[in-house]
Amino acid sequence: MITLKNVTLSFNAQPILSNISMHINSGEFVSLIGESGIGKTTLLRLIYMDLLPNSGMVTVGKYNSLVIKQREIPYLRRTLGVVFQDFKLLEDRNVFENVAFPLHVTGVKRHEIQRRIVRVLAEVGLSHKRGAMPNELSGGEQQRVVIARALVNEPFILLADEPTGNLDPALANEILDVLLQINSRGTAVLLATHNYDLVRRSGSRILQIKDTKIKEIESI
Amino acid sequence: MNLIYILKEGYSGFKRAKLAAAASVITISISLLLVGLFLIVSLNTSRIISLIEDKVEIEAFLQEPITKNQINEVQKSILFTPGVDSVQFISKEEAAQIFRQDFGEDIYSVLDFNPLPPSFKISLKDHYKKTELASRVVESIRSIKGVEEVAYRKELIDFLEKRTLLLNIIGLVVGIIFGVSAIFLVANTIRLAIYSKRKIIQTMKLVGATKWFIRTPFLLEGILQGILGGIFSAIMLWVVIFFTSQWLTAELSEFLKIDFSLYLILALMGAVFGLVGSIISVRRFISQTIVK
Repeated sequence: MITLKNVTLSFNAQPILSNISMHINSGEFVSLIGESGIGKTTLLRLIYMDLLPNSGMVTVGKYNSLVIKQREIPYLRRTLGVVFQDFKLLEDRNVFENVAFPLHVTGVKRHEIQRRIVRVLAEVGLSHKRGAMPNELSGGEQQRVVIARALVNEPFILLADEPTGNLDPALANEILDVLLQINSRGTAVLLATHNYDLVRRSGSRILQIKDTKIKEIESI
Repeated sequence: MNLIYILKEGYSGFKRAKLAAAASVITISISLLLVGLFLIVSLNTSRIISLIEDKVEIEAFLQEPITKNQINEVQKSILFTPGVDSVQFISKEEAAQIFRQDFGEDIYSVLDFNPLPPSFKISLKDHYKKTELASRVVESIRSIKGVEEVAYRKELIDFLEKRTLLLNIIGLVVGIIFGVSAIFLVANTIRLAIYSKRKIIQTMKLVGATKWFIRTPFLLEGILQGILGGIFSAIMLWVVIFFTSQWLTAELSEFLKIDFSLYLILALMGAVFGLVGSIISVRRFISQTIVK
């Protein structure tokens, strides 16, 4: 699935991650915690290979950071779903078109696009809002559109980077419920957050980044 | 690849940055119009030069007094000179007749005697008609015993050849300057387009769009600007030619007639300018749009 082995990464001689190793199994729900700016996003960028490690190795499915070619990276990303705190929805397109976007990009046929979007919008509970523009939606709804967009290519893992960072506690819990539901259908989830309530509620395995190292902890 | 999606994106980018796109289209049109005009001038000057070269003859005047035998000797020597195609002998009397035809007056009425020497009119073989080779032939004929003087109007041809070269160089330099600025204007328009679409580019990268899927719409946008510029330049060139020929005599406006393929070449050159401009920006700026 996903393995990091002795990974080290520095920016301008400033170490972010030092010699870290971790593993995520298929279908697993893992929470990644740590203070803001500690390197959670960096770790996710290593997984979708927007960054490559200075040393060590990242393996995602059949792709390996040591041997991957630049032109293979798009294909690696098609096996992942990524969700950000700041949504990154395309403001000039409605919900349906936003969710359809990855399918257009990857050349999926028109009738197949229709079928998949109907299913994925039902999964995040937004079927009735498919014609709405992003600015007509609440923060929680916008984040659910982003999750739907991340799921539409049927990834084996969903990488969620502070998905509830902009939401109030009630909406944050709603998003967690959506993530748990997705996980219960077999998609692995890596949730990077500093919302410890959320982590406790998820009941997931916990990885903590601290002082450029990563370790597994029992509870918080 | 989803072709309809890519075409739609390419066109929408063009619509979004109307002013910048219009500026690049206009610069491309002007630069190509200049290229077109210089092409017409240079094509025609070489045409005129070869017309004049065809008519250039060398005339060798003979020393006096001269015997028939000596004249035959000179004729033989001239015919043996490399580059000479044919010679025609003009006697003193014939020269006087030509004088009368040219000036409408009898030489004997002006002077008591005929001062015109006998001469040979010499025409050259085709590939000897260029000034450099022709001058060499003139030198050889001048050294033949019995030849007093050789007349050859090389100054006019020299003048034309030098001016054509100068004109071509000026045309080339101006064309290059305008071409380069056109390319950079396209590059700038595409840079703006990339900037305004950085969010969508980020999302595309994130969901696994390939490099060419992201780049092709911007390249098409550049090509579209280029082709439009090329078409406008062709139209302007046609208008310029149309109005200039109204103003010129029929004989001169013959020179302005150009082949339709020149218009096609202009449109094609526009497309190349647009493509090069957009490649510059796409290579530089798309990779700078990072995912997070």
